Amino acid sequence: MNTVIDRSKDIGEFIPQPDDDMLICRCEEITKGEIRKAVHDGMWTLTEIRRYLRTGMGLCQGQTCSRLVKGIVARELGVSPAELEPATSRSPMRPVEMKVFGKEEA
Amino acid sequence: MKRYEVIIVGAGPSGLSAAIEAAKKGLKVVVFDENEKPGGQLFKQIHKFFGSKEHHAKIRGFKIGEELLQEADALGVEVILNATVVGLYSDKEVNVKIGDQIHHYKGDTVIIATGASENMVTFPGWTLPGVIGAGAAQTMMNLHGIQPGKKILMLGSGNVGLVVSFQLLQAGCEVVAIVDALPRVGGYGVHASKVARCGVPFYLSHTIKAVEGKDKVTGVVIHQIDERFMPIAGTEKHFDVDTVCMAVGLSPMSQLLKMAGCEMEDNPKRGGQVPIVNEYGETSVSGIYAAGDVSGIEEASSAMIEGKMAGVCVAEYLGYIEKEERDAELKIFEKDLDSLRQGMFAPKNRGKKIEKTDEGIDISTNLLEKGYVADDEIERFPGVTHKAGVHPVIECTQNIPCNPCQDACPKKCISTGDNITYLPFVKEDAECINCGMCVASCSGQAIFLVDEDCGDGTATVTLPYEFLPLPQEGDKGYGLSRKGEKVCEATVVSVKSVKAFDHTNLLTMRVPKEYAMKARFFKKAEV
Ligand SMILES: Cc1cc2nc3c(=O)[nH]c(=O)nc-3n(C[C@H](O)[C@H](O)[C@H](O)COP(=O)(O)OP(=O)(O)OC[C@H]3O[C@@H](n4cnc5c(N)ncnc54)[C@H](O)[C@@H]3O)c2cc1C
Ligand code: SF4
Ligand code: SF4
Repeated sequence: MNTVIDRSKDIGEFIPQPDDDMLICRCEEITKGEIRKAVHDGMWTLTEIRRYLRTGMGLCQGQTCSRLVKGIVARELGVSPAELEPATSRSPMRPVEMKVFGKEEA
Repeated sequence: MKRYEVIIVGAGPSGLSAAIEAAKKGLKVVVFDENEKPGGQLFKQIHKFFGSKEHHAKIRGFKIGEELLQEADALGVEVILNATVVGLYSDKEVNVKIGDQIHHYKGDTVIIATGASENMVTFPGWTLPGVIGAGAAQTMMNLHGIQPGKKILMLGSGNVGLVVSFQLLQAGCEVVAIVDALPRVGGYGVHASKVARCGVPFYLSHTIKAVEGKDKVTGVVIHQIDERFMPIAGTEKHFDVDTVCMAVGLSPMSQLLKMAGCEMEDNPKRGGQVPIVNEYGETSVSGIYAAGDVSGIEEASSAMIEGKMAGVCVAEYLGYIEKEERDAELKIFEKDLDSLRQGMFAPKNRGKKIEKTDEGIDISTNLLEKGYVADDEIERFPGVTHKAGVHPVIECTQNIPCNPCQDACPKKCISTGDNITYLPFVKEDAECINCGMCVASCSGQAIFLVDEDCGDGTATVTLPYEFLPLPQEGDKGYGLSRKGEKVCEATVVSVKSVKAFDHTNLLTMRVPKEYAMKARFFKKAEV
């Protein structure tokens, strides 16, 4: 797996596409165009995209969109999705309310 | 913090099988599942499973789940439901949300059997209410008894798309089309055929252009695509639907393993992000195992064997059994697994274009492109023979690991040869007594009993029937072709439902004798 992305690579200009307004991450309401733009803003890893746009940080925790986001970023960078390191997995892997997360059993 | 010898995450077929195996060896086991019901995917599967006896073939999925659960219970396995595992650490600490609290557990070993989640594809309108996953449709129908919609388009022709389409029909919904971007039906031909004969059209090399509607789905437009998946202008087709169902693959839910620091890989053959495991499911972190769909999308039958392997491995890991005992058991499981991973749909054949069966017979191309075997293709398969009197006609034309038909016949009329994936054939000296067991046992609903010439210009065809309301003796209607088109008039001679058939009813219809080999379904005339 390629974990280092060569940032000197020229990926060209951001070119608008007709379906840029399509929602990809429905929990955080992020569109395909926003994700593509973020790549051109220099967010080349899925972790960066996630911190920049909050994709996959909503209610479903990326269950629906992480594969889609990965595909879009890979296409924009001209690499295969398998080459992209997935975003870090952290506890809690399902959304948990703070009051529950903080309430540990004695 | 509570300690267990084995903590299993996921009470699906793999998790429960692992629990049973470990408990048999005397280990103290707990299984957590976030659902309110145990069984994982199995609890939604109302169809009869493929495979052999050892793999619970011809038993309906939810029954297999119940059997596993009973066995686990009897062995003293603790199954904790409504318990979401939210964290796993490399020292095998497991954080579980139960109620409004986080509980900490420590496992000497951990088996992750969390299964998979559904993939989605995007098109304009994909976020509209009414666009749902096939799994969601299945949950609504089979667990909650709710129709997901009235008129439905299915995207995806893999086994999930085909099985759920059939279940939608059973639930009384109309399935307007099954659409797939690939040029060939992805799932088993027998699953496709039972949907096709109900009249559902297949559109291969097609995809959704857009879903229409303002606040909910009101229609859908599909279009044809070329080999490079680019749309072909002018091929648009519109359907009025209220629901679009997506069955476009599953992705392993492997986040917990990644979180624990297990080495991972992106492996498209296994369905996405999976842990790197040895042949028995051990990950790179000693004592953490993965089993079932989470380590590669397959089937419940293979998930159960993988679970057993992990269960035996943890028993040895903790010193409950010797290495020799473990290896002897693993050898048997490996052989089992290998027998399942054969045939034209085996993981190793994924993406390969198969043109001939193992027997050297040309595959039905119509089956791959339209979902049913054409009249001029059916005769070349070994299960299709002719004889005076009632005899079985087996329309099972692809090499799949399945053989309940062979075991079902009390007269030993049917054989799948030496290999479970061979095509079933009717033995030459077969003396069929018209008992119907083969028809009811066939997981693919691919066996018919035909009397081609009753002497009065008619023939009778007995077919598996799993719809309500059941037609009655004397009902008049039509014989439908394999494509689901009305081809002749038909009268119901009898409808048999006995316990041994396990809810598959046997409907016998009388048709003009020219249609003995053409009519494969019955539709009652509307009055
Ligand atoms: C429509 C359809 C038809 C099918 N037909 C067949 C068939 O005919 N024959 C066949 O062999 N297979 C069939 N399969 C495939 C089969 O159902 C799956 O391969 C099998 O269920 C995988 O088993 P599993 O134990 O790995 O995962 P699952 O059955 O998915 O179980 C995983 C369990 O883990 C739980 N879980 C996940 N994450 C957590 C967490 N963080 N905390 C707590 N619990 C968690 C889930 O709630 C779930 O209960 C079918 C599948 C579908 C969808
Ligand atoms: S009807 Fe009975 S006897 Fe005849 S082939 Fe089927 S199982 Fe055998
Ligand atoms: S004919 Fe036999 S092998 Fe084919 S699907 Fe039916 S039971 Fe399985």
